[in-house]
Amino acid sequence: MIPSGKLWRVLGTTALASTLILGGGFAYAMHDLLVVTPAAQQTEQAPVKEVKSGGNFQQAEEIRVTALGDSLTKGAGDNSGRGYVKTVLERLGEETGKPVQQINNLAVNGLTAAELDEMLRTDKGLEYPIREANLILLTIGGNDLFRPVLEAREDGGSGDIDIEEIEATIPSAADSLRSVIKKIRQINPDATLVYTGLYNPFYDIPELREGSAAVQQWNDEAYEILGSDEHAVLVPIMDLFQQRAADYIASDQFHPNQQGYQRIAQRIIQALT
Amino acid sequence: MMDILPLIQNETLKIWKKKRFYVILLILLVLIPLFTYAQMRMAQTNADNFKDWRNQIQQQITDLQNTLASDRMPEEWKKYDRIKVQQLQYYLDHDVNPNSPDAATFTRQFMASSVSLFFPLLILALASDLVSGERTSGTIKMLLTRPVKRWKILFSKLIALTLYVSLAIITTGAVCYLVSGLVFGYGGWTMPVFTGFVINSGSIDVSGVHPVPQWQFVIMQSGLIWVSCMTIAILALMVSVLLRSTAASIVTMMAAVISGSILAGMASSWETAKYIFSVNIDLTDYLEGTPPPIAGMDIVFSLSVLGVWMLGALIVSFGVFTKQDILN
Repeated sequence: MIPSGKLWRVLGTTALASTLILGGGFAYAMHDLLVVTPAAQQTEQAPVKEVKSGGNFQQAEEIRVTALGDSLTKGAGDNSGRGYVKTVLERLGEETGKPVQQINNLAVNGLTAAELDEMLRTDKGLEYPIREANLILLTIGGNDLFRPVLEAREDGGSGDIDIEEIEATIPSAADSLRSVIKKIRQINPDATLVYTGLYNPFYDIPELREGSAAVQQWNDEAYEILGSDEHAVLVPIMDLFQQRAADYIASDQFHPNQQGYQRIAQRIIQALT
Repeated sequence: MMDILPLIQNETLKIWKKKRFYVILLILLVLIPLFTYAQMRMAQTNADNFKDWRNQIQQQITDLQNTLASDRMPEEWKKYDRIKVQQLQYYLDHDVNPNSPDAATFTRQFMASSVSLFFPLLILALASDLVSGERTSGTIKMLLTRPVKRWKILFSKLIALTLYVSLAIITTGAVCYLVSGLVFGYGGWTMPVFTGFVINSGSIDVSGVHPVPQWQFVIMQSGLIWVSCMTIAILALMVSVLLRSTAASIVTMMAAVISGSILAGMASSWETAKYIFSVNIDLTDYLEGTPPPIAGMDIVFSLSVLGVWMLGALIVSFGVFTKQDILN
């Protein structure tokens, strides 16, 4: 048993000291919140850390993958949540025997080419994962072309979608894609860039079957944009979703299902190995 | 005035001998290793999946953007995510890791997330039986028949309580640091933490953002926690004066604190809720730039609300304690 007098001295001093520290902390916090914050100048932008470009994956020791784009890259519609990206990573490891690492999957559901372009322009954080990668997986454009159809379908109608309306979106979306590719190349000129083309998700709907022509037109545009880039490859997948579309399209009638993603992944592997 | 010091000494030693502080210490020694372990597992998962913290933050941003893209989310919830994205972006742009795994960061994060429930719980363990306990054991008669003015007795209890509140906060910080340091290493005090995010209805103003070293941030944070805890302590003292049973006074205060934290999560449409004390006790949010539960609240408002509640509770406590008859 500690004598009361001594206990009191120790307890009292410690507690008093604690109170003083906390009171000081409170005063300091108030000063910071009410005086410093309103007066603070924009702090200096820290220098962005220089990262060595990832180079080209064919020669690399380790395959480092950054995926970006829309819901296809995200894997929407796949009940296992894997999408095509995870399968590509696995199969690539098996085929090449090299370690494969996913740096980031930066895909955002519902993203359009114009939005991706804007993200690349404003979001400096994207530069880092793109620069580090030696393999970049990209899907974009589907939302630019099909959003009018999807919105109309949500409103109840489905039959009278104007194919011309879809075609009319192509030129501006293609401009955005060109700008996206250019920005990616400015950040990382050497990485292998895989752009997966579009398919016609509405092939099963007779009135929208001609939409395939619009999709083909888009894919041609994309081919032309990527054409001169020796490290870029366009993987066509339109044919995969025509004959037995119902088996490979998810219940939302728009995204591929698990089997659909498997087949996309297969195509990409074939293109890369 | 000097005759009050022995009273404070007496009350301080009484609380110590009730071994309440040992209970607090024990709770801390059980809980904090648990959280440290959880944090360690999380750091391991991140290290497995991401080469670099930058990729992890970027992924977090992308995941939030995906939630934002969903139409199923109500607009007022999106506000929080949008602000979170901007903050993470700010850290990324300035090449500072907001979740760096070290003991100082762990301490900061643990203290910040404890302010709404865990700290009030610790304080209630100390404060709830200060007066009602004397009634239950019958010692209140002895206490009040001494030739000392009643207000001095309550005042000395209040001072003793204040000392223990400070002690509890500092001890929590110290245990956090010492235990988590075993796993994460004892560094991180000089790491910059950003503060000064100003929230204006859904958007965030970063023009006032400035870095402070983490040790300074932790001290500021603890100061704000101390004010929240003192509010709880004074209210608990009042309840302990008003209610005869210690159990009843603990339950009353717990109910008030918990309902406050639930309200804070859902009350954005009920504006009057911002005058309830327990909606305002997350003072550290203002330092971190987390949006307040109800639009229009700021640090001055919250402190005023807490101040009014404290003042009211003090008036009621002293009024009742000096006047009431001791019957049983």
